Amino acid sequence: MKYYIKKILYLLATLIGVSFLVYAAFEIIPGDPALSKLGTDATPEALAALRHEMGLDRPFIVRYLSWLVECFKGNFGISLSYNRPVIAMIGDKLPITITLTVLSMVFTILISVPTAVLMAKYAKRTLDRTFYVADQVFMAVPSFFLGILLTYVFGMVLHWFKPGGYISYSKDFPGFIAYLIMPSVAIAVPKCAMSVKLLRASILEEADKEYVRTAYSRGNSTMQVMYRHVLKNAMIPLVTFWGMAVADMIAGSIVVEQVFGIPGLGRILLTSISNRDYPVVEAVIVLIAFVVCVMSLIVDILYKRIDPRMKRTDED
Amino acid sequence: MKIKSFVKRFFKKYHGFNFVCGLVICGIIFLAAFIAVFHTPYGSTEMNASLKFASPSFAHIFGCDNYGRDIFSRVLEGIRNTFFIALTTVFIGTFAGIVIGAGCGYYGGRLDHVLMRVNDALFAFPSVLLALVIISLLGPSSFNVTIALGIAFIPSFARIVRSEYKKQAALDYVQSAKLMGAGDLRIIFVHILPNILPVLMSSVMIGFNNAVLAEAGLSYLGIGVQPPNASLGRMLSEAQSYIFTAPWYALFPGLMIIIMVLGFSLLSEGISENS
Repeated sequence: MKYYIKKILYLLATLIGVSFLVYAAFEIIPGDPALSKLGTDATPEALAALRHEMGLDRPFIVRYLSWLVECFKGNFGISLSYNRPVIAMIGDKLPITITLTVLSMVFTILISVPTAVLMAKYAKRTLDRTFYVADQVFMAVPSFFLGILLTYVFGMVLHWFKPGGYISYSKDFPGFIAYLIMPSVAIAVPKCAMSVKLLRASILEEADKEYVRTAYSRGNSTMQVMYRHVLKNAMIPLVTFWGMAVADMIAGSIVVEQVFGIPGLGRILLTSISNRDYPVVEAVIVLIAFVVCVMSLIVDILYKRIDPRMKRTDED
Repeated sequence: MKIKSFVKRFFKKYHGFNFVCGLVICGIIFLAAFIAVFHTPYGSTEMNASLKFASPSFAHIFGCDNYGRDIFSRVLEGIRNTFFIALTTVFIGTFAGIVIGAGCGYYGGRLDHVLMRVNDALFAFPSVLLALVIISLLGPSSFNVTIALGIAFIPSFARIVRSEYKKQAALDYVQSAKLMGAGDLRIIFVHILPNILPVLMSSVMIGFNNAVLAEAGLSYLGIGVQPPNASLGRMLSEAQSYIFTAPWYALFPGLMIIIMVLGFSLLSEGISENS
């Protein structure tokens, strides 16, 4: 219990650190939001009034703290270019990016585990060698290029889905999920190749241990031994990798969303970067940092679930 | 003579399949990048309306794009740009990473603790995203992308270097060097650094790959290399609109990215499995 409290405190500290860095970074760059809102021919009085209204005349640290307090309440300020509350702009985009990330994660796990087991079973034989070469190639494929290839092959040649035909989740949920399958495959494949490689090595390392010999001697088949005994131990390093992969998948989804024309967090981040719409950029960054931190917390908890040995070492 | 024996030793140590394949691919890529500095078959911005979407032929082996520019020349220039951006990025990341990581790992103490917490916070953050934030501050250009990616890669290098220094600092040879009166800087750079070189080399290669992929991604989003300069990522985003009429336009830049990344990942694998 104490361990979890400590972890949650770390999470909060990290988030506050990230938010401070982001806020300070946008403070340093030249440019006056009030000036850009009113234009260069504004009277000094109007400028001063607006600056006061926007709170720009207060010292930096006061502004940061009040922004932080508002963030905790769920109010991320008002977008400079759209004049709408940031939370309203982001709120309906967040589920899209999260669904995409979760789907990619599911694909990664579903594809990589059986493949790695198969490769480990036929280790150093033709099947393993072939898969190994393919795996190396897939590791090198950028997900957005894969996205373009998938659009061409499955969208334009085979007509399995309509490229650019994104369907909103509030309109047609199954259709929405169906459209996200190809993008999530594009995000998942490079990560999947990496997991296959790690998991294969990890399984082979486990395979020499005594408990595996015991399991065989009790009459289990290779697949039974693999899935019931070996995998449990071999997965431990993979959980760490998957936890870190989530962050990369979110970053990957920003690019892949552009390939498939999905209006998720990525698009809003890119447009606000080009519009220099700082409240939105800050909010998106803090939100992504939040998701990443929560993921690493979940990984820590999972770690203890699958490896009871960790419990003892940490609580001392 | 000394160099010759060094080369001999090097190849005696590294001769696995992965290493040789990686070396050949990287050699070709490096040669392509080097030649593209001085010469490309056609001008990379030379337009020719009659060759619009010309399919691959002997004159234009990768075909032509929507302005009738030779894709092979543009790919060569793209490789060159990507290669140098990735190289500079890795150089910034490694250099700063070594300084920070070595200081933290060797001295330890409170500063190490604070720096590593900051580092963990940054490390948890995807480097493409970090670069995106920095570019949004500096404005899009290929120079800024290099700086942004370089900064974004510092945390991962610092982390690796620190853990290696921590391991090495406890070993006997460091203690005896200390007893012999060697200064801290001498121990850090002359005694410990050569010992962590294999680990560092392999992570530099991986870092290079990540830099290539990140640069391609950022250029694809339109915030890396600016037109009319060629970049593999940017070519892909342009090619996407014409994928039905000219699939080769998208295919070749993409394949080049894959080959480049594959070469360096094989090299990294070869180094780490033989040392």
